[in-house]
Amino acid sequence: MTNIQTKMELNKEFKDIKYILTSNMRGKLLLAVYEIPKNLDELRNELKKPSATILHGLKELETINLVRKAHKYYELTSNGYLLTTNMIKLIENWNSLSNCEIFWDNHDLSAIPDDIMKNIYLLKDAEYVSSTTSDLSIAFNRYIQLISETTKLQIILPIYSENHLKHIIDLLNSEQLQKLELIVSEEIYESIHKNKKFRKELLNNKNVKTKIIDKNLKIFLTSSDEFMSLTLFFKDGHYDDSQILIGRDKNTLKWAYTLIKHIGAELCENK
Amino acid sequence: MHVHHEINDDIKFLAKSEIRLKILSELYEHPDDIRGLVKKTKITYSSVSSNINKLEANKYIKKVEKKYHLNPLAEIYFKTLMDFKKSIEIIQNYDSFWDKHNINQLSISSIKSITDLKNAQLIETTPIDIYKTHNTTKNQLIKATDVKAIFPYLHPEYPELIENILINEGSVELIIPRSIFKAIISPIDESLKKKAVKQKRLKVYTVTESLNLYLTICDEKMSLGLFKNDGSFDQNRILISTDKKAYEWADELFKHVKHVVRQ
Repeated sequence: MTNIQTKMELNKEFKDIKYILTSNMRGKLLLAVYEIPKNLDELRNELKKPSATILHGLKELETINLVRKAHKYYELTSNGYLLTTNMIKLIENWNSLSNCEIFWDNHDLSAIPDDIMKNIYLLKDAEYVSSTTSDLSIAFNRYIQLISETTKLQIILPIYSENHLKHIIDLLNSEQLQKLELIVSEEIYESIHKNKKFRKELLNNKNVKTKIIDKNLKIFLTSSDEFMSLTLFFKDGHYDDSQILIGRDKNTLKWAYTLIKHIGAELCENK
Repeated sequence: MHVHHEINDDIKFLAKSEIRLKILSELYEHPDDIRGLVKKTKITYSSVSSNINKLEANKYIKKVEKKYHLNPLAEIYFKTLMDFKKSIEIIQNYDSFWDKHNINQLSISSIKSITDLKNAQLIETTPIDIYKTHNTTKNQLIKATDVKAIFPYLHPEYPELIENILINEGSVELIIPRSIFKAIISPIDESLKKKAVKQKRLKVYTVTESLNLYLTICDEKMSLGLFKNDGSFDQNRILISTDKKAYEWADELFKHVKHVVRQ
């Protein structure tokens, strides 16, 4: 038997998350009154449970000051609102991960800092696109289509790919793309620089700003006012051009913006 | 509008057992074998072993060269769960600050990032120092070069504090109720004001509806105050922090309120 003291310590450490997350009733009640106060009838209809069960759950939540009763209506206290909002974030984080579990599980995520990973709920409406054996370039084509529709781009580019670079240069030359910020590692910068065309039409283009970071980036992130896209590396170090995550909603753009800002803050050299 | 959220079985599976959570938090720090886990956690061998089996069967961990490791995806799931745990701790640690207070003007996004306030300090007045909260923010304002603030009420010292910042070539961005605009801005020297506005060092946004939030960002220091549910400002408590995360949190909140105000 695990001794009593250890049990008590464990209980103390995790009791709150256990209390909130494992009860069938408490979590549901918090979510039910999250947006508007409800009375017992409304809660009974919504949760399809007998009054006694609901009242018992409400009493428990009242005792720990997450819910209060005002004129027959149950509502969240300020503590209850703060906690439930964070519980929703947890649920959304898990949903967001499980929606694209293949994508997250297949790749090296070391380039994404913890604080940004913890806000993965922001990607809950992002679309996962994967190439198929019959069409290996679905992800790449979607990417090219996306960047062709915008005038300003920020790209964290961890690979030297003539295919990608040629498309970007075409967009710059046609003046479809009017502003490009490129974040690359020293190694990638050198590779681009060695190519005469890329040096002239990309690195020396007045509409292109290049930032060099002193480490190898393991993330291919593109961000604009309209969309963001993300591709990653396999855990064995190889770049994966077959799977892409695309988002156009406000939250996804915010997530990408935060990540670029974070990586930008690590910049050691600005060219 | 109904919120379609449900605590799924995977969350329940982890949250249900303190032993599993403890094992995961140990393995998150360092991969280990069962004996090592028993030693670190003081949980019995049989409990560790049976929960290790359950965690392995549910793909949260795997054994690599005699040691158990968290699967990369499980690591993220676990981190988000621990983030929720931290948010509860922040709510509880500053209970007197949040409880029975109006949090309507905090954005959803700032509430979801509440763990950014983990190193904040709750300043409370005492019977022998009843101006402790005011003096704390006043000291921050005196030393600051760049100030962003939401002042929901007028304090007679504000005009002079703002004037001094402007004299020292600093910048001030304010969100205030329209009702106090004159009282706060008029006492400031006219030519100083004009110059600062021209140089974009003085920006003031006024609101007709009530402001239920007190926020100052003085260079990289933040302080936050709330109104009580009865509508009065709680002068006895503020949350302050010099932490970068908290500063960014406050800055986001300021931007959010500014955005709402300007709309």
